[in-house]
Amino acid sequence: MSLSIIKTDRIRYTYQKVGGQWILDDINLKIEQGEYILLCGASGSGKSTLCRTFNGLIPHFYGGSLKGEVSVAGLITTLHSVGDLFEQVGMVFQNPEAQLFNFTVKREIAFGLESLGLPRAEIETRLAKISELVDISDLLNRNPHEISGGEQQLVSIAAILAIGPKLIVLDEPYANLDPYNVHRVRSLLKKIHREGVGVIISEHRLRYTVPDVQRMVVLHQGRVVLDGPPAEVLSKDVESFGLELPLTVRAGRQLGLKKLPLDVAALQSNVTSNQALPDLRPIPLTPLPNEAEVVLKAEEISFVSSGDLILSQVSLTLKQGECLAVVGANGAGKTTLLKLLNGLYRVSGGRVFMKGQDTAKLKVSQLARHVGIAFQNPNNQFFKLSVRDEIIVGAQALECYDEKWIQELTQLFRLEPLLDRSPYRLSGGEKKRVAFAAALAAKPSILALDEPTAGQDGYFRRALGDFMSELRSRGQAVLLITHDLAFAEQHAHRWLLMSKGRMVAEGPPKQVMADNNVMALAGLEPTDSFRLYEPTARQ
Amino acid sequence: MFDPRTKLILSIFYVILVVISNRFSSLVVEWGVLVSLIVYTSNGKAYLRWLRLVVPMSLFFGAVTWWSINGEAGAVAALKLLAMTTVFFVFFSTTLPEDLGNALVKSGMPYAAAFVLSTSMQFVPVISRKAKNVLDAQRTRGIPVEPGWSALRHYPAFLVPLLIQAFQLAEELAESMESRGFGRPGRTYLKDYRLGAQDWLVLGVGFLILTALCVWQRL
Repeated sequence: MSLSIIKTDRIRYTYQKVGGQWILDDINLKIEQGEYILLCGASGSGKSTLCRTFNGLIPHFYGGSLKGEVSVAGLITTLHSVGDLFEQVGMVFQNPEAQLFNFTVKREIAFGLESLGLPRAEIETRLAKISELVDISDLLNRNPHEISGGEQQLVSIAAILAIGPKLIVLDEPYANLDPYNVHRVRSLLKKIHREGVGVIISEHRLRYTVPDVQRMVVLHQGRVVLDGPPAEVLSKDVESFGLELPLTVRAGRQLGLKKLPLDVAALQSNVTSNQALPDLRPIPLTPLPNEAEVVLKAEEISFVSSGDLILSQVSLTLKQGECLAVVGANGAGKTTLLKLLNGLYRVSGGRVFMKGQDTAKLKVSQLARHVGIAFQNPNNQFFKLSVRDEIIVGAQALECYDEKWIQELTQLFRLEPLLDRSPYRLSGGEKKRVAFAAALAAKPSILALDEPTAGQDGYFRRALGDFMSELRSRGQAVLLITHDLAFAEQHAHRWLLMSKGRMVAEGPPKQVMADNNVMALAGLEPTDSFRLYEPTARQ
Repeated sequence: MFDPRTKLILSIFYVILVVISNRFSSLVVEWGVLVSLIVYTSNGKAYLRWLRLVVPMSLFFGAVTWWSINGEAGAVAALKLLAMTTVFFVFFSTTLPEDLGNALVKSGMPYAAAFVLSTSMQFVPVISRKAKNVLDAQRTRGIPVEPGWSALRHYPAFLVPLLIQAFQLAEELAESMESRGFGRPGRTYLKDYRLGAQDWLVLGVGFLILTALCVWQRL
């Protein structure tokens, strides 16, 4: 007898009641008890929608029109409410803020158990067990909105695990986590999988998922296009479905390895020496001309807020045409640094010069002409009815609107087809492109991108890579704020490594990564390409 | 310690007492009692932050009263507002809103209503953080949304992103609550809410003191 926890029988789904495009189109899946599955595909391929059919949120919460049948542990979802199904399948959503609605972590975990109507003693027992398993016992009395992003993700998972589901479904859990916290969540997921709980993880970051899972399901335009063990699936043309292959898999393919290596260790055990490896190192950037003008200079800037030293003595220079990556874990002070540079925060010590001019006396609106920033969440800025207006509104407010430049920008970011659409109706990647164009609309001498790759698919990363090289060739100075080291290694001339509000290293990427001590201090790991190709990195 | 309902009722008693007090000196004493309570529960630092918000409000209220009646009435009005808001501060700094909510459910309030009450308090800081992010994003691109007259002309730049995200947050919250069995019949509670002997005792004593003070105030 098969122990399917989930069976979908030719399901189609659209969010509209009548008409509308099928977001899921003829999906047949059988998920056995205890499987660890990666669900992947480009943005808009239907991953999140499919996840929501597994616990009855579709159709009960979203309405729309669902054809075919989903059964969860033998229960047909159309006939059972979410309240009946939540014991079987637990959902961890992408945004931790919206799923932590209690005042203490303890209450957060107890919430599902209270829903189950368990007696008090049983709730206490499960609480103790789960908080030990997830290793959050020291957080129990904290407010879940006042802990770090990584801890929030762990608490969200604990709150679901406590209910004791047979399967736990996670929607892009790694999207906003830095490498250290990804590592913590990964180990937790492996642990609960070993205890027999099934795991479905929907994620773009293959490097962090394929080594862990047993099965990989690729969605494309609402259909399952590939399904099987990762090493097999990755030998197919998955790039055309918007996935970005891990470096080790690309190397394995070129070497013609039968079993594709899913991480660095697997690849290294397959090759005898570095010489045998195909050269997949990032293409070196053209060096800057010596006479390149310095557009930004910060001298030992510090920032104190409510008596706490948030940032301490950070110095940097940025030249025309240069890309400087500010890298570090979440909470290292990267975004604070950005806000100090454009005057949103005022430096408590040190000085900032924009093209030689001291910025201490300049207002944010004056600095806005020098520094264009695309913050991580574009939804914070959209308020116009069309993409066109959204791009130009800043330039108009600054009285430096230039029609020809805006046309160039729309071409560069391939926004022509979107100009008349509402910015809110766009996909995540499209929104980011609009925000980039808006940040450049006033022709600032510096463009700053805050975590541009977070939660984005392979299509977007490739496009962003193209934008970056185009901007470099135009002599645009770029500040890249990120914890995505692979991307920063490809596109930045220099790194500024931050840890706990301090600058701990500065220099070309390879030089920074070569210093094991500072990397460990900053909670980061060298990139795969560094580990593979730098002789010093080989153990 | 005490049941949240006891604390709520005592707070209401205290507010009544403050409202009927019309002497500056008795208001000073009433406020002083609250302050010593705050110091005793070591919430002094948080109270100072709260004062930064409330003192200007009280002074403004006092000034208006001064202007329309007289100086003494103004001082009394300002202190009254300060003492009243301090009662709420003491209540909320010693009571988790969800404890209050759950206890009220025990007394017959519908669960959904109590939940809305406590959860909306949890999301006040979230929304204000979002508001700050929106302000930052707009100011960064030169839209003057700084507090002030010019902001009025640009209010859509602030309100539209904030409202849309607040609705989105509400929807995500609803979805996640649903997925954790919100509204399923037969809910139990981690904590037991019971009005014990000490609650009744404190309530009785509180009531007596209040009555005594009311009479004394009227003499």
